[in-house]
Amino acid sequence: MTSYILKRIGSALITLLVVAATTFFLMNAVPGSPFVTEKSTPEMVARAEAKYGLDKPLAVQFYNYVKGYFVGDMGVSLKMQQDTSVAEIIFHQNKFVLSSRIGAYALLLAVVLGVPFGCIAAYNRGNWLDGVLRVVTTIGVAIPGFVVATSLLVLFGVQLQWLPVRSGSLETASAYILPVFALSFYPSCYIAKLTRASMLDAINQDYIRTARAKGLKTGKVIFKHALRNSLIPVITYLGPLTAYVITGGFVVETTFSIPGLGKYFISSILNRDYPIIMGTTIVLAALIIIMNLLVDIAYKLVDPRISLSKGDE
Amino acid sequence: MEKRAMKFNLFHANVDEILAANEFSSADFESASKLDKESMVEQHKSVSYWKDAARRFKNNTVSMVALAVAILLTIFAFAGPYMIPYSYDEQYRGSMKLAPFEYSDSEKLAQKALTDADAVFSTALMQGSMTSLKKGDYAFAYHGTWYSFTMTKTLRSGFLMYKAGEADPLYTVKEDDFIAGGNYEKTAVSYTAIDGKPSDPGVTVIKLSESVFPHVFGTDSSGRDIMSRTMYGARVSLLVGVIASLIVLVIGSIYGAISGLLGGKVDFVMMRFVELIYSVPDVLIVLLLQVVLQTPLQNWFDSSTVPFVRALSSLGVGIVSIFITFALLYWVSMARIIRGQVLMLKKQEYVTAATVLGASNSRIIRKHLLPNSIGQLVVTTCLEIPSAIFLESFLSFLGLGISAPMSSLGSMCSDAIDTITVYPYRLLFPAIILSLLVLSLNLVGDGMRDALDPRLKK
Repeated sequence: MTSYILKRIGSALITLLVVAATTFFLMNAVPGSPFVTEKSTPEMVARAEAKYGLDKPLAVQFYNYVKGYFVGDMGVSLKMQQDTSVAEIIFHQNKFVLSSRIGAYALLLAVVLGVPFGCIAAYNRGNWLDGVLRVVTTIGVAIPGFVVATSLLVLFGVQLQWLPVRSGSLETASAYILPVFALSFYPSCYIAKLTRASMLDAINQDYIRTARAKGLKTGKVIFKHALRNSLIPVITYLGPLTAYVITGGFVVETTFSIPGLGKYFISSILNRDYPIIMGTTIVLAALIIIMNLLVDIAYKLVDPRISLSKGDE
Repeated sequence: MEKRAMKFNLFHANVDEILAANEFSSADFESASKLDKESMVEQHKSVSYWKDAARRFKNNTVSMVALAVAILLTIFAFAGPYMIPYSYDEQYRGSMKLAPFEYSDSEKLAQKALTDADAVFSTALMQGSMTSLKKGDYAFAYHGTWYSFTMTKTLRSGFLMYKAGEADPLYTVKEDDFIAGGNYEKTAVSYTAIDGKPSDPGVTVIKLSESVFPHVFGTDSSGRDIMSRTMYGARVSLLVGVIASLIVLVIGSIYGAISGLLGGKVDFVMMRFVELIYSVPDVLIVLLLQVVLQTPLQNWFDSSTVPFVRALSSLGVGIVSIFITFALLYWVSMARIIRGQVLMLKKQEYVTAATVLGASNSRIIRKHLLPNSIGQLVVTTCLEIPSAIFLESFLSFLGLGISAPMSSLGSMCSDAIDTITVYPYRLLFPAIILSLLVLSLNLVGDGMRDALDPRLKK
């Protein structure tokens, strides 16, 4: 087990390094300097490049980045908030807090909605309730997230006017409702589908028949035996779910005008502010990779059969 | 139990006894006629794989409805633009911010003019910057016949009207006269019927309209027809979906087949590479890629004279960079599926037989492995189409995919957000079309999976 965890951590670090290298070389592949504007003179560009070390060879620049990250130095912004440290921009300007709050609530809501609805669908298999849930979840996993977000905005923000159209910095509780619900719609439908399928799978297992034969109550059979085992696919989904919540957050922040990290990331790409692109990519990628790592480890802990069957491949 | 089984021995069965027990006599049987035999043969006729799949697909109501919707949307996207007189990038003067089926003032005047004439041409409805008919030679077609005429005086804010059967069938009228109402002053223009469309470049071809087509979905803030833009957006989505999934199919199946077939160390290295791409958070890289590819692609398009590149450049940088993204990052799951299939099929006896007979690797791939995994290939490719559409619209929504003047359903939705409190319907149409498109293609894909690969059915 320890060797498995170490191996997994090793591969996670390699992935992160690959992400960093890809990002670095991709953003440097754009021809021309980020400092070139309509008014800039070649001397101004050269001075700015020298100031931020962009005149050094790419390999040296990349080495400096990696070295900096190891001691917690993420560099300073080139253009968007000139000379402000990237760590300051990401972590201390409310951007990360806003994005992660919406993300965390959405993640929680997705599980809280998805699992019970999946159980209800499985328990009512074949009747109208299952049918309704099946239609909703099929639509929910198929249509793009921004369609959901913008539709909710039109319905509750513009037509009914129950909730604010622009959520801004999320100062009121009602500002949270639409972004969080929009972001959690796809994953809750997906989790409901997953739970339904694995519940149905579990219900047909021998140990459920045994539990019933022993005379256990239906509730106990479902919660103690069936649900526990059918949650494994849901746990595995938590990794991709984190990735979805982060990228879906870009859309939700754009739709509801929330000044979060996702929105800032997009504009940093368009502005070619290299240290911010690097910083944001690495922070977000690290979140996703760490979540995947935790899920993999949890998966092994929860289901010992997996380590037995896969062995030391 | 064992003893009874021992007693019942097939070879010692007494036929008479059995017949008597079943109460059959020889009179109960009659020999089959030729016709009967034929019908027996017909009943057991072998059904081909595709026919069998088609039958299963037809029995699936949801998939059939989804297929019908997908076909309708395809017609909407590809035939629709030829049926409406508006183009996706033209900014129609005076037609800004119209609600669905609303007419602009100029269009209302044109409609009014049509009550007196058979066909009109209104300078106020002209596209782009041309607001007047300058002096010069013009031609127009009416009911299949071409006519040419010469303007001796510039016509500013006015109508060119045509009414068959009058002494002066073609005449110009000032717009102001129309607005004032009552009688208007007609200025006759003489014209001549000509043979076919004039080829002289000095002649401007204009189009008289016999009715004013409504802006069914309304227009946007710069006077572009939303219906036409939605059609082109759906066309872009379908093109991106189909071509991107074909790219994924080609790269993924070649990579997967090679990896699975060669096995050993090659397979190990190739699969570690796949795993690496798999574990990288794709969207973060994709966003960056869109910006990175922009300039080099544009330069390549501008400088190249190769016909293939010219064709690509007509698609636009945004679409091509999405193709490249798929070619770089999204083939991995296809490669994994194909590798799995190959590994499974590799152990089959007929592949061993082919190897023993000295067949080359490429022959084994072409003749044995691909035909046997065709079902999986088709299903995975079909399901890749909606996800490619998904990614394209996501990127365009964030402003990183397809950019104006080319229309995309995603960018139309994001444009609509700026004015959402005033014009919510601008969001409605692209969002509905996009959702229907992705939903129907997903359901068709699911139906294909159930039909082509019944083993996978839940």
